[in-house]
Amino acid sequence: MKDPKRNELVEELHRLMAEELEAFLRYFQLRYRLRGVDRLAAENFFDKAREETLEHAEAIASHIRVLGETPKLNIKLEVGGGAISLKDALADALIFEQQALDAYKDMLPRVEGDPGLEDFIRKQIATETEHVQEITMLLE
Amino acid sequence: METWKEFDANEVTHSVAHHLLAIHELGREYGGWARVSDIARQLDITRGSVSINLRSIKARGLVAEDDRRQVKLSPKGLRIAHGLMAKKTAMKAFMRQVLGIAEDEADVDSCKIEHLLGDVMAERLVHLLRFLLSDDPAAVDAMKRFRQFKKECPESKTCPVCDGQCLIEELAAAAK
Repeated sequence: MKDPKRNELVEELHRLMAEELEAFLRYFQLRYRLRGVDRLAAENFFDKAREETLEHAEAIASHIRVLGETPKLNIKLEVGGGAISLKDALADALIFEQQALDAYKDMLPRVEGDPGLEDFIRKQIATETEHVQEITMLLE
Repeated sequence: METWKEFDANEVTHSVAHHLLAIHELGREYGGWARVSDIARQLDITRGSVSINLRSIKARGLVAEDDRRQVKLSPKGLRIAHGLMAKKTAMKAFMRQVLGIAEDEADVDSCKIEHLLGDVMAERLVHLLRFLLSDDPAAVDAMKRFRQFKKECPESKTCPVCDGQCLIEELAAAAK
């Protein structure tokens, strides 16, 4: 029988992976909702954000595999909407990044004592904190 | 307004209803406050989705947010949540106690309907339930007769409900 704490940890990792992959899909769609000068100004930012969220999801999937499990994905997503201003797109991005940061912070106590995972989560907290600060600054 | 368009004009969509009810339930032990992570878990969606959904719910004044990003129903949100719960309870009671639908099915179906039911319809439904489940001999007799009512449709096309087109047949065909 598997350790319930370990099962809980795996479930939390699945949720984290879903957060990242959903953010990836949202960034993917947001990028194409931008128009004109806004699109030119922000294309790189959204491309980078999209790539990073995918990298984070892959890293989480690897940790799930290290724990002997297969990554399980549960996303219910339907995104629509027309053209969007850069400011509104950044406001959306701030929501994704803030929620990712909160999720990693909540995860930290669960992984303390596991050197690989603890190190990974701490690095993610640092990265997401940076993202939140950067977007907040852009929105000022 | 065409009837189908009223779905779009509905103040509370299915998604909004579930968010309001989740906040209401989760906040019970915490002075009404609920965390985004708990709402996400309860609704089985991501935190990102909850936050995006909450943005429009907040803009409509149905929830308030504190500086720790916890949310609480506003008086208007609470009124709507109570209305939804009342409609669901009435609908479920009608399904269970009058129509004799199984608990699980009644739970799911009442959940699908709760946010679509108009206030007048809900109020009348409660009165109908009060009557049908009362000790009034006419109600007791009506319930007894309904339970014994022959399910088979008459051969002739004189059914006052179907108006020449057998609804039971249509429903059976749709369920296949």
